[in-house]
Amino acid sequence: MLQRKICMLGGFGVGKTSLVRRFVKSIFSETYLTTVGVKIDKKSVELPDKTVDLILWDLAGEDDIGSFRMSYVKGATGLVLVVDGTRPATLSVALTLRERTEAEFGALPCVVLFNKSDLADRWALSASEIDETKQHGWPAYLTSALTGEHVDDAFRQIASMVVG
Amino acid sequence: MEKLPDEVRSWLYNYVYTERYVAYLKIDTDLVVAQKGGKLDHYGLSSLRIGKPVAEQIELMEGLLTDIELPLHMPMMELPNGQVADLHLFDGNAGTWVLFLDATAERDNQQRMQQKAYEMTLLQERERQLNEALLETNEALRQTQEGLSREYARSEALLLNILPASIAERLKTQEQIADNHSDVSVLFADIVGFTERARSVGAEPTLAVLNSFFKAADQLSEQYGCEKIKTIGDCVMVVAGLPVARPDHAKALANFALNIRNAGGRLSFGGVPLRLRIGIHSGPIVAGVIGKRRFAYDLWGDTVNLAARIQTSAEPDEIRISDATHKLLGPGSACDPLGAIELRGAGRVEIWRLVA
Repeated sequence: MLQRKICMLGGFGVGKTSLVRRFVKSIFSETYLTTVGVKIDKKSVELPDKTVDLILWDLAGEDDIGSFRMSYVKGATGLVLVVDGTRPATLSVALTLRERTEAEFGALPCVVLFNKSDLADRWALSASEIDETKQHGWPAYLTSALTGEHVDDAFRQIASMVVG
Repeated sequence: MEKLPDEVRSWLYNYVYTERYVAYLKIDTDLVVAQKGGKLDHYGLSSLRIGKPVAEQIELMEGLLTDIELPLHMPMMELPNGQVADLHLFDGNAGTWVLFLDATAERDNQQRMQQKAYEMTLLQERERQLNEALLETNEALRQTQEGLSREYARSEALLLNILPASIAERLKTQEQIADNHSDVSVLFADIVGFTERARSVGAEPTLAVLNSFFKAADQLSEQYGCEKIKTIGDCVMVVAGLPVARPDHAKALANFALNIRNAGGRLSFGGVPLRLRIGIHSGPIVAGVIGKRRFAYDLWGDTVNLAARIQTSAEPDEIRISDATHKLLGPGSACDPLGAIELRGAGRVEIWRLVA
């Protein structure tokens, strides 16, 4: 049985829990419910040559990065960085969290999700800021947990990266 | 460590065991479940089998036990069955103990507080963004307004170049303007031998001299309170007594005539001074604006036609005025009588020469 632990990282309110719910259960709720600690979910992903069970660790998005609990990331094989496209400051939060996991556990495969793409009129990130993350070799996606846009694509991408 | 009395130990044990749903596993060095016990069913783990790899049975254990530093505390983990547990991992004899303690109450408490705090922060961020957007919109609006007033001022200035100010003002609210003016004086002045001279000196010097002539007409109109109505080829039409009526309109236009003649004399056209024929007549006219896209303020009436006829009959450097204008000028102006002269389309008309 092929099983991989993936951690969702990002500031609070960027949509980590909503993205997991959209991916695992195909549902979305407008109600914001903050995550405390961590939520564990599982979803099978069929890749061309094999099936992998992603164990998704949906980590609380801390207000204060200093209080981020690194022990949750132990054993992870890949990261899903989530940024709120309507709040530019959440980009640096996601990047800082990734750097800290790298210092502790080494560089892990990761994808970057620029979430809330349905809120086009409030979008606050430029194309160049999004391209910059691609320069690091991290696949980037404009996602919406509300419409489901590119959500499956992004999770399938990290799945193929961690089994490869 | 202080040794607790047996009764306290026993109470504590029962309290923690029931209140926090204690469950435990022991995992051997091959990452296989070696022992289990406590309230595993509370965490959805009742079917856990001894002798099988732990990660296959409990997903969250995936990757966790390789190169692990113990003890490890992972608080408030929401398990797939919805229960929340604090996980404690610590070293045992030939294996690792994994302890589950229920943390639902603590998690819910913390979530309530955090929910309020984050919602507040998100609202404040949103408010700041909206304020910034509002400021940007206001700035854009202000710039558009500035541009508009610049455009307005420009078109205003252009309009004033071709229309008297009071007419331009009325034109903004009125579609058509046609006013009767009972008492005005009308002047025509043209350049003697213009067509022949223009042919011999060429286009550029001709335009230059026309420009000087009309500029002089503009400047003198302003000086003597007259309105230059239009230019037709080398001919200029000037009126006094409108748009605002004035009793001395004939006098004003006579002064204009004497001065434009002198100004012409100072201009050189093909090496010789510019000479003018000037005619003036006084009476009632109709003034108005015709056209919709290209405005033209113009005058109509017999007074206008007769002024033009008198002008055509004038000799070079001569200012001819009608009897009506002569009467208005009174004794203050020096005039020579020329008698009744036959004018085309007007019959015999009493004419005077304005001298000074």
